[in-house]
This record gives sequence, structure tokens and C-alpha cells, in this order.
Amino acid sequence: MNGKEFAIRLMTTYFTLVTLITAATLGMGQYFEPEASFGYEAFASPLIYGVCGTLPGIVMYSRKELSVKAFLIRKALQFVLIEITVLCAAFCDPNRELRTDILAGMGICVFVIFVLAHGIEWIEDCIAAKRLTEELLAFQRNIY
Amino acid sequence: MEIKILKIKRDQPERVEIRCHEVTEQVREIADFVRSRQGRLTGYMEGRQFEIPVMDIHYIEAVDNRVFLYSSGEVYETRQKLYELEEILREKYFLRISKSTLLNLMKVSALKPALNGRFQALLHSGEEVIISRKYVPELKKALKGGVS
Repeated sequence: MNGKEFAIRLMTTYFTLVTLITAATLGMGQYFEPEASFGYEAFASPLIYGVCGTLPGIVMYSRKELSVKAFLIRKALQFVLIEITVLCAAFCDPNRELRTDILAGMGICVFVIFVLAHGIEWIEDCIAAKRLTEELLAFQRNIY
Repeated sequence: MEIKILKIKRDQPERVEIRCHEVTEQVREIADFVRSRQGRLTGYMEGRQFEIPVMDIHYIEAVDNRVFLYSSGEVYETRQKLYELEEILREKYFLRISKSTLLNLMKVSALKPALNGRFQALLHSGEEVIISRKYVPELKKALKGGVS
């Protein structure tokens, strides 16, 4: 994958993550702090967490095609880095109380979003494969 | 080796004749090449030589500097190089799908996604081969505009 293709893939992932993070923030907020209210700056939060979730994706970059083993190792590393980045970003404010229930909730949310983002990518790949199969069958019919 | 090309009349059959002192490796390679241009490839299995119709081959794979032809249930070794076969078989709907594999598009029944942006081609024989991400654009191009 060249740099341009990789950057496009990262951007796609970013926008997917922002949507999923917004939904997760809504769910987590309703559960842990339903009485909290925010200003417009709250809209920046999914965008910032989106960056935190996207940047560790750099570990997946490789000019050569990764083997399945290398791919899985890098995916695991990417997940760990996302957890660290997001949790550090969430609790970097020294005035913020470090509640273990929120910490665990966020950790689980990151995992769920990670799985969902990959699920969406997989669905996209399935659609692409289905379209390619249809084109292939049409190609074969034209030859015979 | 001297090369002589004679133009003949339309009513006479075309033929390639090799006159040699000994059937060497080089002579065999020339014969293999001529056969491959005629829609047949020479394959070897257990010391025996076979002529395999190109359309019976599902895919061709290079492993450790050896090239193998895969047909329904049989695997033959060929002396031809993968890049030579790629060139020869392009018009027979064979396409490069990874660094080491040529796939006969007419033998594919479906495509499925695989890890890391790759695809998996499911063959009529039930076998599955991986299409590298790098070669997916070539596949799309081939299906849209034909193999060129």
C-alpha cells in the first residue's frame, strides 16, 4: 500500500470512528453522568478522540503486504496503543477524578468501537467482493 | 542454432520442426514454448511428460524457483518461468494475482474478502487462492475491459 492509499484509509477510519465515538459518548454520558451539561466545546470531543483512535493506525503501514501473522500482531499492537492513547487523553486533566468504573467503561467502549469499525470495514469488503463476483460472472458469460 | 522461417501456401499445414543433434534442455524449452502458444502446456509428474490444455489449468504457482500447474486434482511441474507464462497466457484469461500466482479467471466461481484488503478466489475445484491487494486493481481492470 502506498502512502496515499494509506492516508485515504486512515481518513475513512477517522470519520467512521468519529460517528461511533459520538454514539458511545451519548451512551456513556447517559449512564455515568446523566446530569452533566456542556458548552459547544463538547463537539470537539469526538473529533479529538477520533484522532486518538486513528493515529495508532500508523503501525499498520507497510510497503510490503503483511503476512496474516504480522497483520494480527500489528492489529493487537494498534488496539493496545488506541486504549493507551484514548485513556491518557480522557484522564490527562489532573482535576478530573479517576473513577475506575468510568475507566473500565471507556476501555470496554474502545474495544466495542474497535470491533465495530472493523465490522464496518468487513461489510464494505463483502460488498466489494460481491460486486466483483457479479462482474466476474458477467465476464465469463461474455467469453463463453 | 540456425533459425529458418519459410512462408508456405494456405492449403499446407503449418508446422515447427526442430532439427538437432541431441534433445537438450534448450530444445525441450523451445518445444514447450511452441506448445504453450498452441493452447497446451507441457507438465511433468512423477518423471512423465503430459500435455495439458490451458483451459484445464486452474492456477499456476511458483514455489522456491519451481513452477507448478494446478488442474482438477492434479499438480504438474513445468519448466517455463512464471513471467513467461504470464505473457503467453494473458490472452487465455490468466491474470497475475500475487507475486507467485497466475489465476485462470474462467475457473473462479466466487470472490470473498480476506484479511488486510485482500480477496480470496474460490475455484470450481473447491480450492481457494489469495488475491494480493496490490493486484486487485488489475483484476478490476481485467473484468471491466477484458484481459489485455
